[in-house]
Amino acid sequence: MFPIIAKEELGPSVFRLRVRAPLIAAKAQPGQFLIVVLDEKGERVPFTLSDWDAEGGTVDFVFLVVGPTTEKMARLQVGDTIAHCVGPLGRPSHVDTFGHVVCLVSGYGIAAMVPVLRALKGKDNQITTIVQAPDKKRLFGLEALKEWSDKVLVATSDNGNGKGPLASDQLRHLLAEHPNQPIHRVVAMCSLCLMWVVTELTRPLRIPTFLHMTPIMVDGTGMCGACRLQVEGTNRFACVHGPEFDGHKIGSWDVLLARRCSYADENVLQQSYSCRTCSQW
Amino acid sequence: MSGSEKPQERAKSKKKVNLNRVPMPKQEPEERIHNFNEVARGYTFEMAVEEARRCLNCKKRNCERGCPVSIDIPEFIAAIQKGDLEVAASVLKRKTSLPGICGRVCPQEVQCEKACTLSKKKAPVAIGRLERYVADWERLHNMTTIPERGAPTGKRVAVVGSGPAGLTVAADLAILGHEVTMFEALHVAGGVLAYGIPEFRLPKEIVQQEVEYVKNLGVELLPDTVIGINFSIDELLNTRYDALFLGTGAGLPMFLGVPGEDLNMVYSANEFLTRTNLMKAYLYPEYATPIKMGRKVTVIGGGNVAMDAARCAVRLGADSVTVVYRRSRQEMPARLEEIENAEEEGIVFFFLATPIAMLSDGRANVAALECIRMALTEPDESGRRRPVPIEGSEFIIETDTVIVSLGTSPNPLIASTTPDLKTSRWGTVVVDEKGRTSKARVWAGGDIISGGATVISAMGEARRAASAMHEYLTSGSKKIIPPSA
Ligand SMILES: Cc1cc2nc3c(=O)[nH]c(=O)nc-3n(C[C@H](O)[C@H](O)[C@H](O)COP(=O)(O)OP(=O)(O)OC[C@H]3O[C@@H](n4cnc5c(N)ncnc54)[C@H](O)[C@@H]3O)c2cc1C
Ligand SMILES: Cc1cc2nc3c(=O)[nH]c(=O)nc-3n(C[C@H](O)[C@H](O)[C@H](O)COP(=O)(O)OP(=O)(O)OC[C@H]3O[C@@H](n4cnc5c(N)ncnc54)[C@H](O)[C@@H]3O)c2cc1C
Ligand code: SF4
Ligand code: SF4
Ligand code: FES
Repeated sequence: MFPIIAKEELGPSVFRLRVRAPLIAAKAQPGQFLIVVLDEKGERVPFTLSDWDAEGGTVDFVFLVVGPTTEKMARLQVGDTIAHCVGPLGRPSHVDTFGHVVCLVSGYGIAAMVPVLRALKGKDNQITTIVQAPDKKRLFGLEALKEWSDKVLVATSDNGNGKGPLASDQLRHLLAEHPNQPIHRVVAMCSLCLMWVVTELTRPLRIPTFLHMTPIMVDGTGMCGACRLQVEGTNRFACVHGPEFDGHKIGSWDVLLARRCSYADENVLQQSYSCRTCSQW
Repeated sequence: MSGSEKPQERAKSKKKVNLNRVPMPKQEPEERIHNFNEVARGYTFEMAVEEARRCLNCKKRNCERGCPVSIDIPEFIAAIQKGDLEVAASVLKRKTSLPGICGRVCPQEVQCEKACTLSKKKAPVAIGRLERYVADWERLHNMTTIPERGAPTGKRVAVVGSGPAGLTVAADLAILGHEVTMFEALHVAGGVLAYGIPEFRLPKEIVQQEVEYVKNLGVELLPDTVIGINFSIDELLNTRYDALFLGTGAGLPMFLGVPGEDLNMVYSANEFLTRTNLMKAYLYPEYATPIKMGRKVTVIGGGNVAMDAARCAVRLGADSVTVVYRRSRQEMPARLEEIENAEEEGIVFFFLATPIAMLSDGRANVAALECIRMALTEPDESGRRRPVPIEGSEFIIETDTVIVSLGTSPNPLIASTTPDLKTSRWGTVVVDEKGRTSKARVWAGGDIISGGATVISAMGEARRAASAMHEYLTSGSKKIIPPSA
């Protein structure tokens, strides 16, 4: 059993949980995730680690309420327990001294990217973070982003800076300056559609672009193949070979988008796969 | 008349061979395709005794040689003949700790029953069914006894994986007095018995009872713990454990590698079966995991895994289920009984064909399989007939759900985090005749060394390793195997 030590509401339908899970905390690295099973009838759901305390034996993750399991999780209180937690799963995010790194985040990525930013900062990178949210009311976690970035650009429909409401618009502005103000690496932990757009924007400029891919998972240990994606024409499993992948090597984006929504309810499907209306973000 | 028979003749006529196997009572196909309850209902006491009486109690004990763990078959059957089920159970327990499971899932027709003397007359004694009967009797009468544990040896053993191999080693070594911890990556113990083999073939209650039995022997079970992630093998050996057993199975699903295989609604059998069995998607929404399946399901493969996937699809409500297999029915590796059950349940078989591409409906869902017909070559030196494609014989199967059931190989996680563990080019761990790996103090058994075999062979290999581990742990250990460098 994994007791909940702390709970915080970060914004509308966004929560942070702190859970006692010493084995996970002991080995956690930036960009890794855990899998949670709420009770013996629960499903296995993955969440990216947004922080951990190896000595205290706790891990944090931030989640968006999007469906039955996350709704149930939002009702849990401090002192309640989660039946199962396993992790840290996946490979850590690749961190090195790259130079100027542009990070794009939206949704839970706003919190889940923080450990990666911290590690990048620890390697003396210059960091520009672009954060996307539907509107200011639903923007959370800005402080932590600012703490570990040299510059934070906000993309919301109501930020009124005239640069356009989308993170991709902000990125375009930055890319226009490249290579005079070079960008050495782009890392994205945001909606699938945005990651696709980012990949296509950086491809002609050959800027290494790394994406945190989160296809639907079941076991998270490489046993089921649910999370497979095409990387350079071969099958890779996001849970063991990823979740971070070189975006320019990923194929079959249309299949990935469709698969992401294959368990969404019909209303979501009918809206076609547009980020702005997708329940996920 | 009978009174005038000479005693000699009487003895002879009594020995007259009865070729009528007592049939297994089963749920009728029309009924069972709508539920996940066990198909085979099991013998009654009378049926079991009647079937047991067919056994000739042969001196040569052919049957025993056909069993990978050499169960004393004539003895346990003789005990059933006498109605002494307690004795029958204890005879079984001498060689297997999982009789209720093996009696259900062993491919008896190629093991014990194939070797049975009566097999020549095409009516072998139903050894598996009898084994199951005894195990069920023991379970239902709460007769399962916890064997006495040997005096504590003060040695600690780590068992990685809780499938049949891990359960067997853990039980054997705990009984011998060692302190055992069993690590399991998933949230439920049992390995393939829990996540792969469906409820209607092997009720999960039986598997969990087996797990409880092992825990009652004092084995500590740690679920949600992935070795290679939470602890490396070296960490376990260097901090706490004197010896380690690897029973992590072969869980990595194989794909065909044909175009379009990444389309939606193309499942690996592992995902399909894990959702259905481990996560109980057939009870959705009581259980939270859903499963998405269309109406026309196609399963690719011919083994137990393919049969299980196809039969789950039937029960989940598919309109039609087709199995595509590249050889013919004769070569199918699945248990005969399950092939017959599948046929009864209306599953259609497409033999001598293999998919060469999967086609999209234009919205990234699979809509059809392009297949090619195959022919079998003349048997090669190994006697196996190879399937080869017949040029120009391509054809289309319309489908909206594909389940790829080709087999599995060992998960590379352990090997990749344990550089000094020797593996073959198929990813299996290499062991000697006692189950010892190339790494000091590490033994292995089950699918991780075979690449995928049977429950009973995994158990047999585990037994072998357990006795070698015991020998190592109780003799002046370091003289036999130097500690790891
Ligand atoms: C490696 C990984 C890391 C993740 N990290 C986080 C995180 O830190 N915080 C967070 O809130 N969520 C995270 N997710 C997504 C999270 O697992 C899903 O939101 C969750 O499973 C939804 O469960 P549900 O029962 O509440 O909703 P469901 O009813 O299962 O789903 C609701 C909606 O979410 C979509 N969805 C379901 N599963 C996934 C998935 N795996 N990825 C993307 N969309 C999905 C569905 O298609 C549907 O549109 C991560 C996913 C992966 C694979
Ligand atoms: C669908 C299906 C049907 C089958 N039907 C039959 C049948 O009818 N008859 C028959 O005899 N055989 C059958 N088999 C084969 C049989 O189930 C296997 O041969 C047997 O289960 C192998 O046992 P094992 O203990 O080696 O491995 P498994 O049963 O695979 O157990 C391995 C366990 O180790 C765990 N594990 C893996 N990696 C790690 C790690 N790094 N750390 C911790 N734990 C880990 C896994 O989660 C798993 O629980 C079937 C197999 C399948 C998949
Ligand atoms: S364990 Fe399997 S092979 Fe051995 S006797 Fe029992 S059913 Fe037959
Ligand atoms: S070979 Fe067959 S008939 Fe003979 S003892 Fe074994 S089970 Fe009985
Ligand atoms: S989630 Fe099953 S293989 Fe990745």
